[in-house]
Amino acid sequence: MQFAGTVTIDAPRAEVWKFLTDPHAVGRCAPGLESLEIVIPDKQFKAVAAVGFGSVSVKFSVDVEWVELDPPNRGKLKGRGSAPGSAVEGSSEMILRDLPNGSTDMDWSADVVVFGTIASLASRLMGSLTRRLTGDFFNCVKAKIEG
Amino acid sequence: MAAVAIQGLGHPRKRVEDARFIRGKGNYIDDMKLPGMLQVDIVRSPYAHAKIKAIRTDKALAVPGVLAVITGETLKQYNVHNMPTLMSDTQMVLPLDTVKYQFQEVAAVLGTDRYTAADGVAAVEVDYEPLPVVVDPFKALEPGAPKVRDDKESNHIWHWEWGDRAAADKAFDAAEVTVKENIYIPRIHVASIETCGCVAQWNATEGHLTLYMTTQAPHAIRTVVALITGHLGLSEEKIRIVSPDIGGGFGGKVPAYPGYVIAVALSIVTGAPVKWIEDRTENMAADSFGRDYHISAELAGKKDGTLTALRFKTIADHGYTDAAANPSKMPAGLFHIATGSYDFKNAFVEVDGVYTNKPPGGIAYRCSFRVTEAVHTIERMADLMAHEVGLDPADFRMKNFIKPEQFPYKSALGWEYDSGNYAGALQKAMDMVGYKELRKEQAEKRKRGEFMGIGISSFTEIVGAGPSKDFDILGLKMFDSCEIRVHPTGKAIARFGTKSQGQGHETTYAQILAEELGIPADHIKIEEGDTDTAPYGLGTYASRSTPTAGAAAAMAARKVRAKAKKIAAHLLEAAEEDLQWEQGKFFVKGSPDRAKTIQEIAFAAYTNHPQGMEAGLEAVSYYDPPNLTFPFGSYICVVDIDRGTGEVKVRRFVAVDDCGVRINPMIVEGQIHGGLAMGFAPALMEEISYDENGNIHGSNFTDYLLPTAVETPKWETGETVTPSPHHPIGAKGVGESATVGAPAAIANAVVDALWHLGVRHVDIPITPPKVWALLKEHGAALEE
Repeated sequence: MQFAGTVTIDAPRAEVWKFLTDPHAVGRCAPGLESLEIVIPDKQFKAVAAVGFGSVSVKFSVDVEWVELDPPNRGKLKGRGSAPGSAVEGSSEMILRDLPNGSTDMDWSADVVVFGTIASLASRLMGSLTRRLTGDFFNCVKAKIEG
Repeated sequence: MAAVAIQGLGHPRKRVEDARFIRGKGNYIDDMKLPGMLQVDIVRSPYAHAKIKAIRTDKALAVPGVLAVITGETLKQYNVHNMPTLMSDTQMVLPLDTVKYQFQEVAAVLGTDRYTAADGVAAVEVDYEPLPVVVDPFKALEPGAPKVRDDKESNHIWHWEWGDRAAADKAFDAAEVTVKENIYIPRIHVASIETCGCVAQWNATEGHLTLYMTTQAPHAIRTVVALITGHLGLSEEKIRIVSPDIGGGFGGKVPAYPGYVIAVALSIVTGAPVKWIEDRTENMAADSFGRDYHISAELAGKKDGTLTALRFKTIADHGYTDAAANPSKMPAGLFHIATGSYDFKNAFVEVDGVYTNKPPGGIAYRCSFRVTEAVHTIERMADLMAHEVGLDPADFRMKNFIKPEQFPYKSALGWEYDSGNYAGALQKAMDMVGYKELRKEQAEKRKRGEFMGIGISSFTEIVGAGPSKDFDILGLKMFDSCEIRVHPTGKAIARFGTKSQGQGHETTYAQILAEELGIPADHIKIEEGDTDTAPYGLGTYASRSTPTAGAAAAMAARKVRAKAKKIAAHLLEAAEEDLQWEQGKFFVKGSPDRAKTIQEIAFAAYTNHPQGMEAGLEAVSYYDPPNLTFPFGSYICVVDIDRGTGEVKVRRFVAVDDCGVRINPMIVEGQIHGGLAMGFAPALMEEISYDENGNIHGSNFTDYLLPTAVETPKWETGETVTPSPHHPIGAKGVGESATVGAPAAIANAVVDALWHLGVRHVDIPITPPKVWALLKEHGAALEE
């Protein structure tokens, strides 16, 4: 599944970059986040998050790695997670651009592949659920940065 | 006391098993609770193809009540990590290092109860390294495709062909008209309401295993268990398989599944009874599927509509292993019934089996070994040819049918059809449905822009496997059996090698015996499913119970009657040849008063038998059928298509079945109703598909749509009766006819409705989105 969008955040690019590359900061907006552990700063972190897909609730342990970091322009991360009977793999990319009024545009895209129980039980829900979760997430990010 | 009615052949006797079923008193596997019983649950793979890098069990073992976690390595110590399939292929019980399909068994957790075991399953951590996946059998055959099996050269399993290729090619070269179509018969699942399961009970003191399990073939399973565990010291006399009440089998409960082996292994290790029972998704996603045939079909004929030749080339997707349950010599089952009800002079069929990263199988889903695939294809193609030569599909069929006087009929693919009157069945269906008027209505509606279609399916089945010269499973010949013991008071018990899963054997077998012996059916107890007591048989599937065990019932009863005659002669002080049989008694010819009833004879068999004769009144028959039976019928379906939504509404469905002599017309009717629903379902609703990563779509009843009473149309049934000449009571079997015959009638009706738009074929299931897309493509969709 591929998703993409653009979010305008009323803050300078450097501030947006700092927030988005700080797992603890971003974590406050991540739905269902239960724990977060930095393995290698600016390189690897682990997260545990519970996600509900309709009647199915799964707790994922995810290993995430920054594969590209070009501050404060572009970042790309890859992740792989597992839950009992399910697995998820994905990558996500963000590109930040200055806007004339001093705010920042973020183009984001994500490519997510799910395997196992959630893929077979919740595939019909996945699109709308992901849209809702990403919408909530970016609204939260925007609110937190814009303070 | 009023005389008890015999209730023999043709009597609509109420089902005796229903006394317990409708009261909720059936005894299914999951009802069983043995003292000290433990439960196993299974860790399954989320990936369709992956290396297993590590399995960590410490957290699972820390769950209170979890007693053990076993993996392939555990089973390897006893060399039971792999098991043979019924097609002599290999299937992992638990893997050592690689998984090959999604939801494959990876490890098993033993707990004190089902919930504990499930908690343990959730706590087992498995590290996987995903590998390339191939789910499309055509891609699997391409060079460089990911290899599914490490132990095989390629993804190609086998090639099988039947018929005269050169003669068929020649007939095609000379043909005035040919038609060709690619037909996909999708993967579906039997979706029996009861999932699979077992309770394994090991008695360490006696070295004896009792395995209560959901199996359609208990004896064959006993022998297979003995063969695969012989090296562990478990021999066949120490294995008892009990198949209790079964909540639907439909072919899905013929194979052995890893869960059975795991439960047995854990019972032997712990000494405690161990239950394994699947949940719905496990059943749908990991147990044997049906169909999954990609058929390239061609027919040749003359301009006047006479069929001359047939060529079908098929790719059979078997998933990770060939775990079909076909007769050993027939990897594509009885697909060579493909000439159907038509008099082809030339025919050639070929099938290639292919491995993919999908669950294994290829079982006969409520049909006799790939007969549905064959019937659907020939019936779709017959319609295509009829339209091509400008004949009404009914006229076309009438023209090409094998004629009654041609029976016994030798088909171009080598079968000897026993009996039939195909035109008679179709004419009856046409009369019932009002065919001419419907065609008139269709023409009028078409002028008004309304899409109505009429579809015919005039199928011929081949059931009752089978004659021992050609039919075996793992070498076991496909006879079946009946053992009768008549008690001193004239009551009886009869045991069979088959196993009912809802067919009503307890009712109908007693009727056959009642007819033959004159003992009322209510006085005959029928037992099946316990290998310690029942005579050996190959079980119930492929509509074989009536053709084989039903015949054995008649033959065993005739042996009992032969002995009864000797006893009667002794009692009546008459010569045997002077005695005449009338249902329930022997009398002296010309003196009907000098008679002995079967009850009097039975009493004498234990109290006053002739000197020199053994006491008792018993017999057993192992019936080896001389031929298969060929039930047939004609179905006519009328559909209306909603141009706004693409929905296909089945307005009428007339089913005329000829299954030979009907043992119990009420049960036959019930079988046909159930079968029609199970033919309607894949035609319009059911499919299991996979995405490119091997994720299953259709692993639960939200995604895999079973028809309920709301969707199921009203069935109109009719009958003709053409007895089988070689079966002792002329019966042919009917359990699967409707499942086999119905989908083509529905598909033909849909294509008939859309033919004028240029639609020539649509693969089942014919879902509203599929029809909507066709309507859009041809500019016929109604949009706001």
